[in-house]
Amino acid sequence: MKLGVLYSGGKDSTLALMKAKKYHEITCLISIISENKESFMFHTPNIEITKMQAEAMQLPVIAIATKGEKEKELGELKEAVLFAKKKYKIEGIVTGAVASTYQASRIQQICKNLDLWCFNPLWLKDQIELLNEIVDNKICAIIGGVFADALDKTFLGKKIDKKIIAKLSKIAATHHINPAGEGGEIETTVIDAPIFKKKIKIVKSEINYSNNSGIFLIKESKLVSK
Amino acid sequence: MILIISTCKEKLSELEFIEPLKKIAGICRVVSSADIDKKEIIKAEKIIISGTALKDFDYLNQDFEWLKKIDKPILGICAGMQVICKTFGGELKDAKNIGVKKTTVVKQNKLVSEDFNAYFLHTKKIVGGDFDVIAESGEFAAIIKHESKEIYGCIFHPEVLNPEIIANFVQK
Repeated sequence: MKLGVLYSGGKDSTLALMKAKKYHEITCLISIISENKESFMFHTPNIEITKMQAEAMQLPVIAIATKGEKEKELGELKEAVLFAKKKYKIEGIVTGAVASTYQASRIQQICKNLDLWCFNPLWLKDQIELLNEIVDNKICAIIGGVFADALDKTFLGKKIDKKIIAKLSKIAATHHINPAGEGGEIETTVIDAPIFKKKIKIVKSEINYSNNSGIFLIKESKLVSK
Repeated sequence: MILIISTCKEKLSELEFIEPLKKIAGICRVVSSADIDKKEIIKAEKIIISGTALKDFDYLNQDFEWLKKIDKPILGICAGMQVICKTFGGELKDAKNIGVKKTTVVKQNKLVSEDFNAYFLHTKKIVGGDFDVIAESGEFAAIIKHESKEIYGCIFHPEVLNPEIIANFVQK
């Protein structure tokens, strides 16, 4: 089956893509670039880098900019998926949804309306198990944003590894956060993975942190040989 | 041992519809509804028949007549409830229902005692058959129980917001 992946450039959509690729052909990525940092649907920091990630995976990407207004962005997503269906003949969509019934039900609705399969291979996965799978599958994901007071500036730009997982797990036990960021506490950006033919090198970056939240902004990056 | 019968046509769907059930059910075995070995059914203590993707309807063309011949507790989830309903004289009608909805308990039962919110993901509703409705949500029979057998059906996905319903089925 030909599938398109709803791709944010983060750890979850990358892992979902890798799982789907075991059974089906991935023919395109679909990325929604939301100007709204509070977007209910779409991951935001460093989203522009999805074009470079797509190039690294040698996959075409349909990137659509949106103002990120709550229900309007769903219409924009539907348009993007419909475009993928027509151009790349996709028969279904893959998402990195883990627990958000808000996100999952809206994507299911779009797929139903467009007569497409909907696959959520990470659905209901335990947060720590998910982080371990990221590392075990050799996905190099860096923390691009922290949005919870228990997560300080020192996390920004750090690679998700076993040490960080242990730290997040400890914080989650005392501060009621989702250690993999399912509640929007953490956003990640993938700079390398086994499906990348080249990896992303961050040339210039900037940390902006205030009021218990911050982002690691990739200002300049390039693809390099692995 | 719990036997989980997967109604998923696609292996990729099993990550979404079977893996979460395995975690709640504990020690279990998984077989496909397309190829059920009768020995597995005989060995099972209880049976859970899974749901599947919205675009998957292969299960409707499969043989579930064996359900009539056994006397074991069975829980059908979404597609699983639909095959149970079809087997015991009910009808399936097209009716799309996606999202989190309030669900009301209308008859005392061993799975759930209080009203709850549930995640629905189905395009067919069940009508009639040899069942009592024990919970409902709007126009939908949300949980049904066979009149005389320990056979239950949930049209919603309890693994998402109501894992205790599955745990109660497994433990009680």
